Amino acid sequence: MNRFVSLVLLWTLAVLSSTGPVTGAEEGEISFEYHRYEELRKALVSVWLQCPSITRIYTVGESFEGRELLVLEMSDNPGTHEAGEPEFKYIGNMHGNEAVGRELIVYLAQYLCNQYQQGNESIIDLIHTTRIHLMPSMNPDGFEKAASQSGELKDWFVGRSNAQGVDLNRNFPDLDRIVYGNEKEGGANNHLLNNMKKAVDENTKLAPETKAVIRWIMEIPFVLSANLHGGDVVANYPYDETRSGSTHEYSASPDDVTFKSLAKSYSQFNPVMSDPQRAPCRKNDDDTSFTDGITNGGAWYSVPGGMQDFNYLSSNCFEITLELSCDKFPAEDTLKTYWEENRNSLVNYIEQVHRGVKGFVRDLQGGAIFNASISVEGIDHDITTAKDGDYWRLLAAGNYKVSAYAPGYLTVIKKVAVPYSPAIRVDFELESLVERKEEEKEELMDWWKMMSETLNF
Amino acid sequence: KSARPNPPGPTLFSCKVKEAEPEQENDDFTLLKSLAEGQRSKETNETPVRESLEKEPYFPDESDSTKNRRLVEDYDSTKMENGKYQDDPESFRQVDGTPLTAEDIVQKIATKIYEEDDRGVFDRIVSKLLRLGLITDSQADSLEYEVAEALQDLITKNAKNNEIEDLGEDYPVTRGDQDDQNPDAKGEEEERKDGLQDLQYFPNFYRLLKSLDSEQDAQERETLITIMKTLIDFVKMMVKYGTITPEEGVSYLENLDAMIALQTKNKLGKTLGIPGIIPPTGKTPEDDDNTKAEAAKMQKEYENLKDSTKEEAPSTETRDHPGKSEIYLEAIRKNIEWLKKHNKDEGKDDYDLSKLRDFMDQQVDSYIDKGIIEKGEGETIKRIYGSL
Repeated sequence: MNRFVSLVLLWTLAVLSSTGPVTGAEEGEISFEYHRYEELRKALVSVWLQCPSITRIYTVGESFEGRELLVLEMSDNPGTHEAGEPEFKYIGNMHGNEAVGRELIVYLAQYLCNQYQQGNESIIDLIHTTRIHLMPSMNPDGFEKAASQSGELKDWFVGRSNAQGVDLNRNFPDLDRIVYGNEKEGGANNHLLNNMKKAVDENTKLAPETKAVIRWIMEIPFVLSANLHGGDVVANYPYDETRSGSTHEYSASPDDVTFKSLAKSYSQFNPVMSDPQRAPCRKNDDDTSFTDGITNGGAWYSVPGGMQDFNYLSSNCFEITLELSCDKFPAEDTLKTYWEENRNSLVNYIEQVHRGVKGFVRDLQGGAIFNASISVEGIDHDITTAKDGDYWRLLAAGNYKVSAYAPGYLTVIKKVAVPYSPAIRVDFELESLVERKEEEKEELMDWWKMMSETLNF
Repeated sequence: KSARPNPPGPTLFSCKVKEAEPEQENDDFTLLKSLAEGQRSKETNETPVRESLEKEPYFPDESDSTKNRRLVEDYDSTKMENGKYQDDPESFRQVDGTPLTAEDIVQKIATKIYEEDDRGVFDRIVSKLLRLGLITDSQADSLEYEVAEALQDLITKNAKNNEIEDLGEDYPVTRGDQDDQNPDAKGEEEERKDGLQDLQYFPNFYRLLKSLDSEQDAQERETLITIMKTLIDFVKMMVKYGTITPEEGVSYLENLDAMIALQTKNKLGKTLGIPGIIPPTGKTPEDDDNTKAEAAKMQKEYENLKDSTKEEAPSTETRDHPGKSEIYLEAIRKNIEWLKKHNKDEGKDDYDLSKLRDFMDQQVDSYIDKGIIEKGEGETIKRIYGSL
């Protein structure tokens, strides 16, 4: 056979035979491998090319060494916040050597796109009702370092921090300290980062990756989030920093009940995480704080300056930390298994954004009231409305009194019975103080008129 | 929404066949096509590649060409089991499930065995499929059973009908059969011309064949044709056994055509048409040892070509990863397939390709500005959209 013919045959046989056995329709389409930066970029671009009507790629900034902090956004109207549609994010690989989360987010993007096109109704519904942001790696520089190590076993530390040697999960402004102070002496219970823009721009201690993510959090009204790590297997929730400063102490946030419910919603679908018989990752590990695959951060070990608590205390976003593998950078051939263990949890956790109470706060003319506060009686943590007056208040099932307040307006309180899911719609129409004064004046005038007519003066 | 009429006249792969090709062969690929694309209301520009594959399958074998005879009744459509579907190609648009198509395969194998009078045909085909992992052992077993049954039927039927075999037929075969073709040379020549008509749907392959005009190329031509047929059949098989999806099958074949363009340019110094950059994966199956050296040489030549046409993008691709163009092509294809299906499901008119193209061009430019896509990649993507 001539060379050309043989090559054609060879190539096609090679391509045909390289399609391995298909275990399930969706798994056959995902290639379970590690993605270096270029490969990561290409993988995201491919998802976008495959599903351009429901995805968009953007970057929140650059790492220290100039790699883009890429995000793939998925929604029915990518690029825009639709009034009333909650925003969700996954962030992976903030410790560059904790690699599983990074890959899972890439596989998730591919999975959601494939499932959407294959007509999976619950995925279609999820994408139509949520705006999902996927950032596979917050620390691409660290990952390259970790991945460049030769040999089977990757070091526990190489690649963890960013290129400047900063541990990004200790680099966020420590708002826990402030809230603990306010708990004792009074003060705000939410949005504690004062003079935000200034604080961020002028803070020389912040790594570029940290700055970029803080700006991202300020710009998009995220409701729910998770931060993917490795080195253990558990779903960790606020607060991460202990109140007393000790190394282990249960440090409940005002939303302890809600967070436990959210964390469990992840762990329950991960068979390894929720296995009560699971042995600790390393013989001497202390996992006494773990129950049902979840743990309070402070109870496990104190972490100051972490991204999880920063989300809760600077914005409306509830974030938990997911530890997904005992091994921080496991062998490539284990990635498929990690995907299988986490796929259902990852999808189901996004769905958790549709819980609690949600709605709009408007004035009597129907205009949106931006930055109104939503308070829940008994929970010392308020959230605020976004630019369209829309809000989403995550709550575990129960009966609550929810009130809406804005400066210059009269507070309105409503009673709500909240199921596990879906979210209950509660809208507020607020009367401004000026309007009330006018009303009262009119009432007074009417009364005076009536009196004068009756009494003839 | 009207169905494409079947290509008239003889096809390339049944050189000597004068009758109309059997409907059942059309069914195979129509089914493949319909699985891959759903209803099509647009005709000409988008269907060419698929249409060319509406031919009867051909199993390559080493037996004497004079023994390769087709039963008349294969081409007598009224005797076809599946004849009822002929008149209404629309009904093939419904995926009615595997039973119909598996029967076709069984029929064909049985027919071949009957013609060759050689059970070895079955073993050869099945062992190839098993080796490539295209079917499982149990699938092979049930195939054997079904083929045996079909064969028995054939024998019975033929004994009854007392048919006359068409002696004039011949098949494109490996070298050594050139002499046999002389008496029929003229007819074959005409036939080939007609047959090539269908290959216009594989534009690059067609042009390549056309360029192999001379006598010394004739054998190479025949071989190419054989190979092409074989590949098409393997792809069909894999789709039927569920190893790959129809979209992947169609996409492989289209990629093949694009790659042919590139290789031809490289080898013959001619440009056939749209240069598709589809690099080989670099994996070579063990059973082609004797051609490995040749393939490696071709690979190297390709590498040089690739490097000179690519911009200075940092290459972290290893030999084991398909080129990004291929990944992007695949992704774009999936989107187009979904758009077509989605619009059909929603009862809308076909999506507006030019609008989509403009939107994508815009997005690509924006992504290049932001450093999300490299300039070269952007151009590749635009080019792919431009060629749709």
